[in-house]
Amino acid sequence: MSRKIGTALVVGAGISGIRSALDLAENGYGVTLIDRAPHLGGLLSQLDYQFPTDRCGMCRMLPLVNRDASSQYCLRKGLFHENIDILLNTELISVDGDPGNFEARLRQTPNWVDPALCIGCGLCVDVCPVEVPDDFNEGLTRRKAIYLPVPHNIPNPYIIDFAACTRCGECQKVCPTRAIHLFDQERGRFRILVVDDEKIVRDSLKALMEEEDFRVDTAESGAQALDMLAATPYQLMLTDIKMPGMDGVEVLQKAKELLPDLTVVMMTAYATVETAVEAMKLGALDYLIKPFEPGQLIPMILRIYQGLETAQALTLNVGAVVLSGGTSFYDPKTGKDTLGYSTYPDVVTSLEFERILNPMGPTGGKLVRLSDGRPITRIAWMQCVGSRDLHENADFCSSICCMSAIKEARLAKAKAGGDLDATIYYMDMRTFNKSFQRYRDQAQKAHGIHFQRGRIHTTVLDRKTGELVLRYTDINGKIHEDRRDLLVLSVGQRPIPGMEKLAETLGIDLNAWGFAATEPFSQTRTPKDGIFLSGSSSGLKDISDSVIQASAAALNASRTLHAAGGHLSPKPSPAAEPMDVFRQLPKALVILCTCNGALAQKINLNDLAAKAASDPSVAHVEVLERVCTAEGWDQVVEQVKTVRPNRLLIGSCLPHVYARKLRKLEHETGLSSSLMEVVDLRTPLLVRGDALPDPALTSTAEILSMGLARLKRIEPLPPVTVPVEQRALVVGGGIAGMTAALAVADHGFPVDLIEKEAQVGGNLNWLSRTLEGYETKALFDETLSRIEKNPLIRVHLKSRVIDAFGQEGHFVTSIEDADGKMQSIAHGVTILATGGNEAKTTAYGYGTSPAIVTQKELAVKLEDKTLDPAQLKTVAMIQCVDSREEPRNYCSRICCASSLKFALELKTLHPDIQIVIFYRDLMAYGFYESYYTQARKAGILFIQYTPDQKPQVHVQDTKVVVRALEPIIAQDIEVTADLLVLATGIQPALPPNLAKAYGISLDPDGFFLEADSKWRPVDALKEGVFACGLSHSPRSITESIATAEAAAQRALRILSHAQLTAGKIVATVRHSLCSLCEQCISACPYEARALWAEQEKVVVHPVRCQGCGTCAAVCPNSASVLLGFTEQQMFDVIDAAIGSAMCS
Amino acid sequence: MSKTAKIDVKDQNLLGALRQFLKAVLDQEAIHAVLVPWRLPMKNMVMPTLITDPERLERVDPLSPAFPMNGAKVVSRLTRKATGRKVAAMMRPCEIRAFVELVKLKQARMEDLLIIGTDCLGALTNQDYFKWVGDDMDQATQTFYTAVLSGKGEGLGDVSLAPACQVCEFPVPAGADLAVGLFGVNTSDELLIEAQTPQGEAFLEALGLAGAEAPSGRQQSIDKLVAERTAARDEMFVRTREATDSLEKLTRYLANCVNCYNCRVACPVCYCRECVFVTDVFDHEPLQYLLWASRKGAIKMPTDTVFYHITRLAHMSTACVGCGQCSNACPNDIPVMELFRTVAHQTQRAFEYEAGRNVDEAPPLTQFKEKEFEEVVGIS
Repeated sequence: MSRKIGTALVVGAGISGIRSALDLAENGYGVTLIDRAPHLGGLLSQLDYQFPTDRCGMCRMLPLVNRDASSQYCLRKGLFHENIDILLNTELISVDGDPGNFEARLRQTPNWVDPALCIGCGLCVDVCPVEVPDDFNEGLTRRKAIYLPVPHNIPNPYIIDFAACTRCGECQKVCPTRAIHLFDQERGRFRILVVDDEKIVRDSLKALMEEEDFRVDTAESGAQALDMLAATPYQLMLTDIKMPGMDGVEVLQKAKELLPDLTVVMMTAYATVETAVEAMKLGALDYLIKPFEPGQLIPMILRIYQGLETAQALTLNVGAVVLSGGTSFYDPKTGKDTLGYSTYPDVVTSLEFERILNPMGPTGGKLVRLSDGRPITRIAWMQCVGSRDLHENADFCSSICCMSAIKEARLAKAKAGGDLDATIYYMDMRTFNKSFQRYRDQAQKAHGIHFQRGRIHTTVLDRKTGELVLRYTDINGKIHEDRRDLLVLSVGQRPIPGMEKLAETLGIDLNAWGFAATEPFSQTRTPKDGIFLSGSSSGLKDISDSVIQASAAALNASRTLHAAGGHLSPKPSPAAEPMDVFRQLPKALVILCTCNGALAQKINLNDLAAKAASDPSVAHVEVLERVCTAEGWDQVVEQVKTVRPNRLLIGSCLPHVYARKLRKLEHETGLSSSLMEVVDLRTPLLVRGDALPDPALTSTAEILSMGLARLKRIEPLPPVTVPVEQRALVVGGGIAGMTAALAVADHGFPVDLIEKEAQVGGNLNWLSRTLEGYETKALFDETLSRIEKNPLIRVHLKSRVIDAFGQEGHFVTSIEDADGKMQSIAHGVTILATGGNEAKTTAYGYGTSPAIVTQKELAVKLEDKTLDPAQLKTVAMIQCVDSREEPRNYCSRICCASSLKFALELKTLHPDIQIVIFYRDLMAYGFYESYYTQARKAGILFIQYTPDQKPQVHVQDTKVVVRALEPIIAQDIEVTADLLVLATGIQPALPPNLAKAYGISLDPDGFFLEADSKWRPVDALKEGVFACGLSHSPRSITESIATAEAAAQRALRILSHAQLTAGKIVATVRHSLCSLCEQCISACPYEARALWAEQEKVVVHPVRCQGCGTCAAVCPNSASVLLGFTEQQMFDVIDAAIGSAMCS
Repeated sequence: MSKTAKIDVKDQNLLGALRQFLKAVLDQEAIHAVLVPWRLPMKNMVMPTLITDPERLERVDPLSPAFPMNGAKVVSRLTRKATGRKVAAMMRPCEIRAFVELVKLKQARMEDLLIIGTDCLGALTNQDYFKWVGDDMDQATQTFYTAVLSGKGEGLGDVSLAPACQVCEFPVPAGADLAVGLFGVNTSDELLIEAQTPQGEAFLEALGLAGAEAPSGRQQSIDKLVAERTAARDEMFVRTREATDSLEKLTRYLANCVNCYNCRVACPVCYCRECVFVTDVFDHEPLQYLLWASRKGAIKMPTDTVFYHITRLAHMSTACVGCGQCSNACPNDIPVMELFRTVAHQTQRAFEYEAGRNVDEAPPLTQFKEKEFEEVVGIS
């Protein structure tokens, strides 16, 4: 077991939460990952394909090193990691204590379906009489009260919707495994006390709850309540806060003294929410805001009732907390202008449209109108619904909707086979991440998607044709009509429900719109040390940015845990001595589970047991009841300890569920879990009603013998380990490089920081302020002093990398200093932070007049006072100079924010100054939007241009004249400016020879090429090499720091282990058979194979090998062998499957 | 610089002209040895032979209908590693194409090699050749090339070209450094030498041969020959498909097979060091045979016969050049070549691949193409 010190709590199990949890788990920490939903994956469980690759790939987040610690199947279906405890249906209530030693209180909503017993047969669904809208399909379809929260989970137990369930009991009757418990506790024994000075409240609550068969008493004052509590052991008390005499908080305190286990819920009017929150800190479970609806109250009471019956509120000691609660979305129904949403079925939100595209969705994945089922041939997307809208208090951009609308249009086009008119109505297309501009261009040029600047203001239905008639105003104010089958509203972000309450209890800040706010220059730090933000709780982000932020949050949490030392370390019990079964004949123990008798009804288990026992390799066969239960499993463990087999075969159901148990069994008995196999005997017999099993399905005997065949041939080899040089090398000493170096060094590992200049700092040497007004000098000074004070960091100035070789765990880099002195450094990981520079230009008359400057030059001139803003009457700015068109067809992301910064600064200093900004799409993404609003309010002019009609610039004496088409008045205008500022964007400084030395690739623009732009955004395809900062992609300082922290985190996964462990299933080479054709080398997707020329051998890097088996498939004569899947083994399995094996 | 040249033929002695040409090649400073079809002194058989002594060139016979093996494997042995010494290898077009496949599979190297191709007159099966050749090899060879080049095929007696040669649509070499042209050339007076690569051009220049244009009728006669062969090939495909289009029929087609694996040994592109069928993978447990037998009631021994051929089809039908050595090697007269060519034609067409066409063209299945066979894999 690799658990090191400390444990972390990750709140929210969307992709950010999963990333943070996996990162921490891979570092060796214990992690508890919770989600209030009954499933993992968050929003992404509803989206099949995501931009900019138009596919999923979530599984690429799974560990590549020491991968056996984790599940290795579709991550959208589920996750297992030996260091991660996953608690679903669980919410965070409070966090107390100090960084490194928090006490977190969690509330679990239990269910009436026991997930350990539910085998997912679905018989309950057939008999359930209740139908309600299905949230998973955004309410577009209906489901039963007992249902699967998502269709594709592994395991996928059914759950019951308390609010909808009528408790008719039909499901309980048909459940074959007795997993459902609706009535096992009598509610009458659950005693509730209602304390309120208002009689009407007391009586109505009593009536409501008695209708649900609870036993309810009332008290009109605190004093009376305490008397009653002293006399009778109540389980739940609902108390008002504001009462004459003793107030609710005092009642709570005294009641808790009397009955420490009493659950208390505070009732309050809105005005005293703060008091209610205080009360929760004193031990109240929750609060209700008056007036409350029965629909709110009863589920809560039921939850509490269930909670007390099956699980107490959970308290965890954790060292750090990562909040990755995600976002909610704007509901157009609540808006002032709904654009026909909820009136016309064919007006849908973007999320609803995602479900329409899905085969499990309302139309079975067909593009047909929800209203009348006719084929959809024309779709319009309307951007910024609930975003960039001051009327809706949404002065922000939701950052992802432009890209997701393009993606949806592309998917719809692909689905319709091209025969679809797709138009996106937008204000600015914010395609600001690395490859997004090309994605958009491709959508327009190759996919024929139309982009129309303008806003739809009215939607009406043409009742004859069923079409939606959209009216919109174009940029010139002209009104148009557009007929569509479907209108998709790209709805904006909203904070998750309960965010305010959570922020208050945890002591973290919210921004003006209710999203979690971070500290300056950090995407993850909150005012509360030890509590970090991950993912979209601080504003919606695309997958790449979310994953980066999640790894950054993990890094900071890890730093807290590391600094706190080992006092929270979970002590694993000592592992049993590994059993050496090498070269032993197979001696298998076969366990058959009766599945609570259900299996015995379908087949003759004794026959099956006898068949199994007839196989010479089977030592013992045991039939057990319900192996899935704790008692059942204890018997399995006992059997293994008694029989001492060298193979274990379990015939039961749901093999995926056993991964963790098998690991534990290995820990207890020393038998390698690779020598254990669980086969599913139950599913083939899973036939609804009395129908006979499908004869086409493989018989149980064959399934069992297939498992046995696989086990018999497994070569039990010990896993290979590779030593790690626990030292990092960081190339580039800008803010990203410095941050990464510090992050690694703070974990106790030495770092070599290579900087080519005479000083570190990079672009911080000339920057002064950010758009938000944060001083970069302070950041630089603080970072530099931490670098200087840290004895583990060696800074090599005026040095450059000459060459390097090696792989994860062991690199050797040669560096040369200014005097030509060479030095070799051995290190385990490489972080590239070589930065980037402002691009040079010759456009727009640059170089012909001192009045034409770049953004960087303006910053320097303002700082060293060579430019006096007081002398400026008119300033013009041109955005996207040489950018967002080939050959530099990417958005540099920071130039719009920089222009806003300069414009606002100049305008604040000299309100009379006139500023005109020529732009294409103003990339004021996220919360930058409010500065754009502020700038327009301040009178700064924004004039849009298109690449085919760029502004014309000529120099006139000391002035610069900019001539451009003003699209709103549709006329050319001239601006005579004292200064023209060109936003030329960023170019990376990642030399190709450096990339080559470390075996990584560059993207077409010279930036670092990620292993996967969405899921492994700071990793190179070659494990052990990471990138951050501007060499990775154009970013703000804060965003660059996040990439640096993420890169450091990814590096620490490797550095924090003295040895890297290969997976149990890896490929090997039988050299006597190998003809060195090298087909396996080019076929290997992980670069895990190489030709060792001197030895004339193909070698496998065992840690890098992921056991995918491509090499074995491509090798013509089985010289490439995948252990655990040898050809003999597969032949035996096939023989077993067709019934010519031992025990059939 | 001319890309084609001619060699004069004296006294209608084609072989003599070729031997002179090869001598000139071996005389080149850069060439260390030549690998050529050579009459064995002890028997009237022609074998690929590596020659360094110009005197020995007297027995060279590239026009004999003997084709005991595909020389690609031999050349692969010579070029597998750098030697620093260049060999000129004279090969038939199907040998060159097989060699190109081996280069792609890293079993051979193009460096240190000068490929001399010849217009291929075809060959007899080994059995026919032994029956037919007689004692006078000069006479036999002359009879053969006269018969083939005249286009009438007279004089071969009761033998005809091997089945593989009858359906071969590649009688003319492509991708050789130097290629000897016979079809459509007035071979009573001259032979055509064509340089097909830059290396070939340089050599041609060094040899100092007289420049010449290809005769006007050459392309026409090649086209005619290829058209005839292609038609014969397509008829063969129809026949073979009809004979093998179900598992039952395929089993009948291969029923004579005794698992001797000669076809695999003879195959130039079957490059595995040890065939998987002779490794422990197919070394079944004795009990397993009994279990199979009891499942079916009867099981033919040895087992895995059809499996063996299907595996070989899966492994190398994309590399099959149709040389026919598999059929030549079969002791039990199974038309192996017909089966392989029929399947290879389809697999190669499916991947838009042609074995031996271009050394830079990666073999199918060695590279990942995202959008490939979407109708098969079900992902689009």
